Amino acid sequence: MSDTTSTKVEPVMMDHMVSLTYVEDLPPNTVRFAEALVEGRILGQRCPVCARVFIPPKDYCPLDVVELTPDNDVEVADTGVVTNFTIVAPVRYYGQTKTEPFVYASVLLDGASGTLGGQDVSGIPADKVHAGLRVRAAWKPQSERSAEGQSARGWGSVAGCISSFEPTGEPDAPREAYEEHTI
Amino acid sequence: MPATDIAIIGWSQTPSVERSALTEVQLCLKANLAAVAAAGIDRHDIGFTCAGSCDYLTGGPFAFVANLDAAGAWPPISESHVEMDGAWALYEAWVRLQHGDIDLALVFGSGKSSPSNPTELYPQQLDPYYLEPLGLDPDSIAALQARALLDSGKATERAFAEVAARSRRSAKSNPNAQLSGDTDADTLLAGGYVRAPLRSHDLPVYSDGAAAIVLATADRARQLVEHPVFIRGIAHRIEVHQPGSRDLTTSPSTTGAARAAGHNGQAIDVAELSAAYTPQELILRESLGLDDKVTVNPSGGPLTANPVMATGLVRIIEAAQRVADGSAHRALAHATNGQGLQHNLVCILEGEQ
Amino acid sequence: MTDNRHTVTSTLEFPYRRSLGTVVGGFVTGLKDHRILGIRNKNGDVLVPPSEYDPTTGDSLEGEFVEVGPGGEVTSWTWVPEPSSRHPLSQPFAFALIKLDGASTSLVHVVDVGDIAAMRTGMRVEPRWREEPQGLITDIEAFVPEGAAQ
Repeated sequence: MSDTTSTKVEPVMMDHMVSLTYVEDLPPNTVRFAEALVEGRILGQRCPVCARVFIPPKDYCPLDVVELTPDNDVEVADTGVVTNFTIVAPVRYYGQTKTEPFVYASVLLDGASGTLGGQDVSGIPADKVHAGLRVRAAWKPQSERSAEGQSARGWGSVAGCISSFEPTGEPDAPREAYEEHTI
Repeated sequence: MPATDIAIIGWSQTPSVERSALTEVQLCLKANLAAVAAAGIDRHDIGFTCAGSCDYLTGGPFAFVANLDAAGAWPPISESHVEMDGAWALYEAWVRLQHGDIDLALVFGSGKSSPSNPTELYPQQLDPYYLEPLGLDPDSIAALQARALLDSGKATERAFAEVAARSRRSAKSNPNAQLSGDTDADTLLAGGYVRAPLRSHDLPVYSDGAAAIVLATADRARQLVEHPVFIRGIAHRIEVHQPGSRDLTTSPSTTGAARAAGHNGQAIDVAELSAAYTPQELILRESLGLDDKVTVNPSGGPLTANPVMATGLVRIIEAAQRVADGSAHRALAHATNGQGLQHNLVCILEGEQ
Repeated sequence: MTDNRHTVTSTLEFPYRRSLGTVVGGFVTGLKDHRILGIRNKNGDVLVPPSEYDPTTGDSLEGEFVEVGPGGEVTSWTWVPEPSSRHPLSQPFAFALIKLDGASTSLVHVVDVGDIAAMRTGMRVEPRWREEPQGLITDIEAFVPEGAAQ
């Protein structure tokens, strides 16, 4: 195609908002987790083959590829250690709700084999948060707890019941206690 | 160069239900565990895994990565994924096995349709400039195809209803079917149009479900199972996307895929066709040259069980089942992708000669 | 819907801003001028809607626009009795394949005739234009029976 004029043609643009709604029932494992959470208990699930405790329960072990049942459910403590963290400076994008820098920490609960990600750490200046910090869940008042934030496809959320984790005041956990989980 | 003989040695599908309480991963796990057990192998013997699913159907970006929990991705495995029906995952695994360095592959397909509305979701798979802005939904495209078929004189609404009635009756013997029952064309034709000329019986059900197949090279297959089902040929062809740019009353891509898969008019005992709409079965029969001697969709087909993204893989399973149990010597399985039979895959299955 | 009291509703939204290129861009620019453009391939066929490549041969097609219509013939149709929020019209309407005069292929669009009884394959239709064009295929608000557009 030859360009017969010297005028630059403005590119033609089209806006297209893709908006898709999904209505899902939480699977049985997530229902057990959410209901226990509202009662102030954190549920994990132990694989009888590898003895790992997954939080929340998946009703299977992804490493041994075996189905698990409610009989494999175990309760874990609401205390643990910060294994890793970052301070996120919010970037503006469609759907962003955060406006102020916030702590994004991974917490290894006592008794768990994996971390809870994306947790806020409160009761301590952000620049004092560090790996090894011993923390305990700051629960919402019973009347304010809900199954909000759970999804059938997510990594498990405690946001509807636990607003953040705060320091217990204990000495830091030794690195060996959590270094397997720093990534 | 002749292709290496590949056989189907194990399979499983979860029962198709309108709404499952389980996650897609949990459904895949059930199908995979059962298929691997049926094949008599250890999952660590699998040389390649390929899955078919659709993140948009799941509503989760990279949902297909989470589905890998169902394949046991530790220690690390060699795997691939297609954003398509599991039948295409099987095609990729078949190609992979041609290299000759591995002898076992696991294939699975899955989808939960229950959380979404096809009318809202499916236009996203269409041309974003000319079709999606019109909200052109899948029933409407199928109806345009149906109208064209009626106008051509090649079919009647009664013929559509007979496909539906036969499919529901056949599904009575399928424990995995979602819809089944005794009915007849007259009863069905009394219903009103949903998308003229289509009535509700002309449309597919939508199911939550997963299916899995284990493939093996010929020698390994014979060591493992008594009745390996050999893939004699498998091929796929695609047509132009715009519905107004092709003849909706024919399926040249199905004819081309069948020919490329080695189907040259030989007798077919059973054909499992991914005809989600009744007129499409008639179009596919004609494009494949299937006469009345062929048993079509003894499983009931997608009109009775339609786990989208596994429906085509289930056709291969249903065809393989009948070859393995001796009720068919040569079977044809068909899978489709896109709307209005735009893209078609044909697989020819046979027992040991 | 089950009786599970834990049901989650989520809406995914992806805002896209697409550049249309010269072919699709040329088409929607034509719509603003109440012109429907097709594109000629090496065979002399006029493809509507215009595509950048000939889907049969793979030839690049940029350049040869041809005005078609505005009227044309319905080559297939269906009736949507209960439009969803995603459909372009809120009253019952027809989706149709429309072969515009001068075109070799049919365009998918909607026909606004009020009643299914008014629809038949072969009927002649013409575009009813949206008052404020937006550079979209829906700048043709709908097709209507020939002679019925304002």
